[in-house]
Amino acid sequence: MELLDRYLQAVKRHLPWERQDDIIAELKANLESQLEDKESELGRPLTKEEAEEWLKQIGPPIQVAARYQRQQYLIGPAVFPTYWFVLRLVLAWATVIYAIAKTLDIAAHGLGAGAIIAAVAYLPWILLINAAIVTLVFAAIEQASLRYPGKCAPFAPMAPEWSPAGLPPIEVDGENKPRSFAKALAEVIFGSLFLAWFLLVPHYPYLMFGPGAWYLASLPYKLAPVWWTFYWCLVGLNAFELTWKVVDFVRGAWQGRKPLRHLAMHALSLIPLGLLMLAPEHALFLMKNPAADAAAHGAQLASANKGVLTAITIAFAIVVLQLVWGVGKMGVDAYRKRVAAAQ
Amino acid sequence: MTLTENLFENLRLELRRGCLTLAVLAQLKQEHYGYTLRKALAARGMEMDESTLYPLLRRLEAQGLLTSEWREEDKRNKRFYKLSSEGEQIFARLLEEWNSINTAISNLL
Repeated sequence: MELLDRYLQAVKRHLPWERQDDIIAELKANLESQLEDKESELGRPLTKEEAEEWLKQIGPPIQVAARYQRQQYLIGPAVFPTYWFVLRLVLAWATVIYAIAKTLDIAAHGLGAGAIIAAVAYLPWILLINAAIVTLVFAAIEQASLRYPGKCAPFAPMAPEWSPAGLPPIEVDGENKPRSFAKALAEVIFGSLFLAWFLLVPHYPYLMFGPGAWYLASLPYKLAPVWWTFYWCLVGLNAFELTWKVVDFVRGAWQGRKPLRHLAMHALSLIPLGLLMLAPEHALFLMKNPAADAAAHGAQLASANKGVLTAITIAFAIVVLQLVWGVGKMGVDAYRKRVAAAQ
Repeated sequence: MTLTENLFENLRLELRRGCLTLAVLAQLKQEHYGYTLRKALAARGMEMDESTLYPLLRRLEAQGLLTSEWREEDKRNKRFYKLSSEGEQIFARLLEEWNSINTAISNLL
């Protein structure tokens, strides 16, 4: 029957090459016997439509061939738990190593915000490449253990020997624990004291620098005007956060944790750092008397400006990474809660 | 297919999977080739698709539970399968397990 031969040819195309002929010969013998039975029952050959219907019942060639495949998994159930554990470990470490390497690179070359944004945007590719490598390695382990079961040792799951006594103690869920009244009160009191102290610093610099304030005043340098903008920005942020805490305290709403607010404050803290990074001509310190001191202290001043700017850039990068981490963690937590609620 | 129907179908297939292996091993105490085995199983109420049975025979043979040989019958070369000695031992143990499960389920119902 021509239709049956065409069907078998289509099945053969999807079979493993080393067993194609053997499987097709067997399948052909079985299907021909079945066909003979059908035709002897009817007392006539099958019509084209009946033959098509019969072959459709057996199934699409690709599916029939797939049942003969030895390997159905890229990574099977025996290997998967270890794969998943290693994958998460590798992704976490890849993120940490990449963040450190990029921070050092940006700091060493004195790169700006553009480089930080580019580094953050490139992170998903780094993670994707690492995930692909781990997946390939584990797929190879899976294939090897299936193809050469006698030669490869069976895949041992991680930590095969364990003792219940060695299990870690129950973790305290600090994140979801309500904040105490004492802690909320302390935050308001110390926040107010800090703000008062901070407002007094410009008038009494020794409150911040101690005896060093008189030494700093004797130096031939002064702070660039951008530091005043930075200072008032910090005052504004602290005042804003303190007001929020006071309002919560008065309303009796101090118990709940406010992760979104925490993230918002984190994001706002980028503004003062960004202001310093964008200082005109990257000059954070200026000469008090340029005409007299430029020759003697010019190089020192340039070096100080560069060093402080680098430190600020690193701080900016760290805050951005913390922010990305915080947003990611919040997203994952929200997703988990939604999935748990749906179940 | 509704979600419930889909769930039922998945559970049904899962339940049947082990039973099919047991049925095939039981039937292959006598020698059969693919098609006659399928007919014999169907005659005893265990219907099986071609695309399930024929690859299953290959897998059981690869696991050493069956032996096979090509032989001509009715002017056609056919592959005949039979339970191997290892297959007989495994089948006996599986049967014990099946009976124990069957008894436990009967007690539960």
